[in-house]
Amino acid sequence: MIVKIKRQENSDSKAYWQSFKYNGNMDTTVAAVLDFLNYNDDLFDTEGNPARRIRWECSCMQKTCGACAMIINGMPALACNTFLRNISSKELVLEPLRKFPVVSDLIVDRSIIYENLKKAELYIGEYAGADKKEYEQQYQTAKCLKCGLCLEVCPNYNKGETFFGAMFANDSYISYTQSESRKKEIASEYKKHFASGCSKSLACVDICPVQIPTLASIGRMNKKIF
Amino acid sequence: MKTVVIIGSGIAGLTCAVRTAEYGHKAVLVSPYPSERAQSVMAAGGINASLDTKGENDTVQSHIEDTLKGGCNIEDRESVTKMCEAAPGIIRWLEATGMVFTRDDNGNIDLRAFGGQSHKRTAFSGACTGKQIVTALIRKARQYECSGMLERKLGYWFHSGLIKDAKCYGALFYNENERKLEAMYADAVVVATGGQNQLFGKTTGSMLCDGYAAGKLFEQGAVLRNLEFIQYHPTTIETVQKRMLITEAARGEGGRLFYYAGEKRVYFMEDKYGARGNLMPRDIVSKCIYDAPSQVYLDVTFLGKDVILKRLYEVYELCMNYAGIDITKECIPVAPSVHFFMGGLAVDDSHCTNIDNLYAVGECASKYHGANRLGGNSLLAAVYSGMTAANAINEKECSREKADFNEFIIREEKDIEKRLRSKSKFSAVYIRQVLSELMNRDLGITRTESKLCEGIKSVDYYLSISDKFKFDSEVSPYQGYSLKSMLLLAKAILLSAKERKETRGAHIRDDYPERKPEFECASYATFINGNIEISFAKPYSDNKACKEEQ
Repeated sequence: MIVKIKRQENSDSKAYWQSFKYNGNMDTTVAAVLDFLNYNDDLFDTEGNPARRIRWECSCMQKTCGACAMIINGMPALACNTFLRNISSKELVLEPLRKFPVVSDLIVDRSIIYENLKKAELYIGEYAGADKKEYEQQYQTAKCLKCGLCLEVCPNYNKGETFFGAMFANDSYISYTQSESRKKEIASEYKKHFASGCSKSLACVDICPVQIPTLASIGRMNKKIF
Repeated sequence: MKTVVIIGSGIAGLTCAVRTAEYGHKAVLVSPYPSERAQSVMAAGGINASLDTKGENDTVQSHIEDTLKGGCNIEDRESVTKMCEAAPGIIRWLEATGMVFTRDDNGNIDLRAFGGQSHKRTAFSGACTGKQIVTALIRKARQYECSGMLERKLGYWFHSGLIKDAKCYGALFYNENERKLEAMYADAVVVATGGQNQLFGKTTGSMLCDGYAAGKLFEQGAVLRNLEFIQYHPTTIETVQKRMLITEAARGEGGRLFYYAGEKRVYFMEDKYGARGNLMPRDIVSKCIYDAPSQVYLDVTFLGKDVILKRLYEVYELCMNYAGIDITKECIPVAPSVHFFMGGLAVDDSHCTNIDNLYAVGECASKYHGANRLGGNSLLAAVYSGMTAANAINEKECSREKADFNEFIIREEKDIEKRLRSKSKFSAVYIRQVLSELMNRDLGITRTESKLCEGIKSVDYYLSISDKFKFDSEVSPYQGYSLKSMLLLAKAILLSAKERKETRGAHIRDDYPERKPEFECASYATFINGNIEISFAKPYSDNKACKEEQ
């Protein structure tokens, strides 16, 4: 299999494409392919030129941390959860996420996610107590990996300047329903940075690697505050 | 107002940062990546506290006794008592931060059975308890980020402690964005960097936990403790990219272990230990699986699809996704694998190391678990240790003394630059791989003197050439400069395992199969004049043993 990767040494340098031959196990994931290329032997491209090791972000290797989000054959996904058996093309094409600045190769700077959550002051303050009706939805939304895939596919999310995207809607929902003292502030931020900008394409729902029912978060929030 | 630098942003680090900010001190939370990438999110099963919501008359005393017994009687009773007494309050604190616990039909926090426990005592959140705690703590931390009492520093890799005359003044980091070393001075430094997984390559844990901080601080004078006790989790599954954990919750919910003798199933744990055999402590279950004559399976099919999808959904999904096994219909082939490190930095009851103003919390500290940790006690220890360190720092008098480290920092910077330009054939990236291979080979679930000596000899060779290591310029310099201290830590582990000439808990010696009374104590590793020395002392003398090493 040919693995074609969009490379960029650092944030200031120019991007270029480089291809590698992968002759390891085919019953595996994209994360394992990257590991194989990096550590099996010295790395050469398909032209026989020596190549830098491929930089990508990785922690859990089992769809729990969200580090390895990238674009795989045109689709944003987690490398550790994308299997070669599900890729019909003979070529594996890897690119960094497009809506975040590139740090190096497949690593991007996703700090805007945290800056926006901080900017909107999303925290609960005084705890409202457990609400049986909300348990399940709260449990599901708390699984958010902050991987950025929902922002990558969202037609309304650009650079996160005003519209903060689905992960923000989920965090707003859980904070709002758990807060006793800050409901008003959270609702206001939700309106400003999500409700007024979402065109409900729901691409975020399909792409979420942990299947967060974002539509339910949006529905519940809208019902509570409008 | 004090400034506290906390290294590592998993559950222990987050808790310490939040509590520090609550006290009105400035918490600086430093890590290479955000908290969502920390190993804490992988903790599945639950957190222990004697809440007794099941009407089983569970008590704090039972929690203490189970923990001490599970740890094979080498842990300090007083420290364990304090942690177990604090546990119910910790659950209430987590709840008030917004942690979503699984609840029973009456709305009480539900409890499940876990290994080595006399009562149902493990509070949980589905099978992703760690992730749920992290999410809640991140939001709590954000409250203090907004008020300016907590500052997050992302993109920073730990380099070394700023230590002079057994006193810590701050820490040095490699700033990945600026590509240079950066010092952070503080009134106290808290290390919360997790376990030593990367010494063994791909384990059940995170690729980011490598033991470097413990190894480097050891090199700088910190005492290490109980390094030989490495927990092999009994039930892990082979997948295409790593061994993955099947949480103990699967057995807590009723899962049964067996192997086939011909066509007959042999429920070997139940045969040997009775009805609760599947929930014996992890060291015992792992050894029994290791000794089984054929492949061992974990069966949860009889629980039914509804129970599995409701209470073990994450296990169902993991097996289906990575191994193609539908656990509602098929049994899971399991084997033990490296999972948790009972050993780490030696700390006193306030979680201070033998170096003044240097604290260690979470898995990188050695405390409470003795020779074998009980499931559900690691999340408890992570939160408790983070709180305890913050409490101690708050109460401690601040000296405001300064020390000059400029010369040291310039020297270290020059060394990194030199290694990045090096044409040496000794690539740090490859030697890291070799290290994990030899650790797996020579420090397996069972050990012998000869294998341990082989391991020590190999590590000694790599240490002897460590000044020639080339830092591969295409990866972070951290991958290069971390290697020497990881090798030193590996050697300290092998030596600790060699010197404990008995079998106890997770330390199983084929050549010394009995437990011996003279080893009913903790082991300590110290680095003095370039040599590693191993000694043994009663656990209740931790404070004294640590301070005496200064």
